[in-house]
Amino acid sequence: MVKMVWRQFAMEWKLYTRDKGAMFWTFAFPVVMLLGFGFIFRGGGGPKLSVVYVEPAISSPKDAALCKAMGDLQLKVIRLAPAEAEARWGRGETALEVLPAGSGYRMRLNSYLLAQGGPTAGLVNQAWMMAQARLAGAPEPGRIPVSVESPGGRKASNYAAFLLPGLLGLNLLSIGLFSVGMVNVSYREKGKFRRLAVTPLPKWVFLMGQVLQRLAICLAQAVVLVAVGWAVFGIRNQGSYLDLTLVMVLGTACFMSFGFALSSLADTAESYAAIANVFFFPLMLLSGVYFTLDSAPHWLQHAVWILPLAPFLTTLRAVFNDGASLAGHGLALAVVGAWAVVTFLVAVRRFRWA
Amino acid sequence: MGGTEVPMSGPALRIRGLRKAFPKVVAVAGVDLEVARGEVFGLLGPNGAGKTTTLEMIEGLTAPDAGEIEILGCTWARDGQAIRSRIGVQLQSTSLFNKIRVREALDLYGSYYPKARPTDELLALVQLQDKADAYHITLSGGQQQRLALALALVNDPDMVFLDEPTTGLDPQARRSLWDIVRRMKAEGRTVLITTHYMEEAEALCDRLAIMDHGQVIASGTPASLIAQLAIPSVVELTFEGSAPDPAAFSARLGEPVERRGERWEIPTRDPKALLPRLLETAEIAAVPYQQVHVRRATLEDVFLHQTGRSLRD
Repeated sequence: MVKMVWRQFAMEWKLYTRDKGAMFWTFAFPVVMLLGFGFIFRGGGGPKLSVVYVEPAISSPKDAALCKAMGDLQLKVIRLAPAEAEARWGRGETALEVLPAGSGYRMRLNSYLLAQGGPTAGLVNQAWMMAQARLAGAPEPGRIPVSVESPGGRKASNYAAFLLPGLLGLNLLSIGLFSVGMVNVSYREKGKFRRLAVTPLPKWVFLMGQVLQRLAICLAQAVVLVAVGWAVFGIRNQGSYLDLTLVMVLGTACFMSFGFALSSLADTAESYAAIANVFFFPLMLLSGVYFTLDSAPHWLQHAVWILPLAPFLTTLRAVFNDGASLAGHGLALAVVGAWAVVTFLVAVRRFRWA
Repeated sequence: MGGTEVPMSGPALRIRGLRKAFPKVVAVAGVDLEVARGEVFGLLGPNGAGKTTTLEMIEGLTAPDAGEIEILGCTWARDGQAIRSRIGVQLQSTSLFNKIRVREALDLYGSYYPKARPTDELLALVQLQDKADAYHITLSGGQQQRLALALALVNDPDMVFLDEPTTGLDPQARRSLWDIVRRMKAEGRTVLITTHYMEEAEALCDRLAIMDHGQVIASGTPASLIAQLAIPSVVELTFEGSAPDPAAFSARLGEPVERRGERWEIPTRDPKALLPRLLETAEIAAVPYQQVHVRRATLEDVFLHQTGRSLRD
């Protein structure tokens, strides 16, 4: 029996490696995402904020003082003549503009770029206060120091370190929904299961070979991603490897069962794709794979915890990035575990061969 | 796999009162069949006649609502694994992985059985030696069907089930598949084949059963079925375009005339006597026919006679 399972596993693996498209999406794509987003957001605090400074007809000492103060506050100051500034504003490229008005200034904020322009406006006002104090010869105002740390406090982490566990979770989700769920619907639809059913091969041997092969893919993917993260961004697992393994095993079990359960709901690959996407996109976008839901409404932040990916990622990041123990994440583990058990039972009861 | 004793005598297949109803249709409504060891038995009928459902129940893919099935002396309830080891099945669609090589598919399916025939022998049997390392998806329709037959023979089965193996193939590919089926018979295997091609049944089958609406409406050797018709000949008048309504002509001739697409068919025991009268009547009635043919009755006519419908309707 072990030999039969092994043979089935080996054949699945061989056929999988011939599918270059699948290989790309499972191995190369997550690495590309990690490298791409990791480098783009390497600064940690996001891109430098910029402000357009419209040069007055005659420059005065207060203008020079404002520009210097803005530079001191790490703002990128783009100095433009009025006509050029107006053209740039018209193209919609300017988030915030500082214009001379009477003896002082006024600011113009692009209504489409509030997220960038809003904080910038605050910094410009701060710069203006500094400039006024400097012009008046007053002592330099003090500032409150800021340090960037991860929630567990282990290490200042960059965006790549936040993203890496997110991609690990996304991989599990897509393997479960597509490599397990979609594949089995199409096997059923195309009669592959029926062809197996007329041979003496026990069906569980076939499914076992399949599940083991998907596990191997998940493992290989995780190794590749973690290795790239370590080599390029210096990201290391901060937690215990036992905890990490436990979380990954629970997640893998949960998302594979999820795929098996979902595959029992559809008769054709087309209808399965529709059902799977209903789960895939909200899970991907709302579970904190790429970004946190800080600015989303509170009810939504709580609601996504009903689905398994958000609690899974929270726990995975706590262990991997912050070296936390699993003890503090009982609720999250319970949610993921409950999904694993319920979908497993649905899969066992409803899975169809024909 | 158990130590079931397998009886080596008695019919290869015995079916009694087989029934299967689906929510909207009664697919099989009481079928009795007996297939002797070593014969090629044909199951004929139009689409929806219940052939495939009957076959699937015999193969253990579908559970019957009622009836008994005994294959090679075994029943599904008692000896499922023993039956699976001793039958070979070709389903309507080949349903293999796209990127599996021909040799790999034969090796893989062979590994599912306690004993398997050597892959090279199977490749030679279906003449796919030079395609052994080709991916399944790159094979032509005929080659895919030949591979499906090789897969059905991978375990050296005593009984082989073929479900419309030549549907959609060109005449040359069809002939090459017929040769493989004849080889199966020569090797002493029992073959149960479904088809809706009458000439295929006449060419291959020792005996056959004609199914319609889930029931066997006639069975016997191809010759005996045609003989039972008692109308050995058919005179055909062909027209350009669809044939006109033959009612008036039929009354004038005093013989039944059936319209089939572009032709009229007049079944007769005595074409020699009918022909002069027919031509004269056609001349008088100014029937715009193109050609006259006289042919012997075929299984197609047996089917028409039994059901009033053409096989491929």
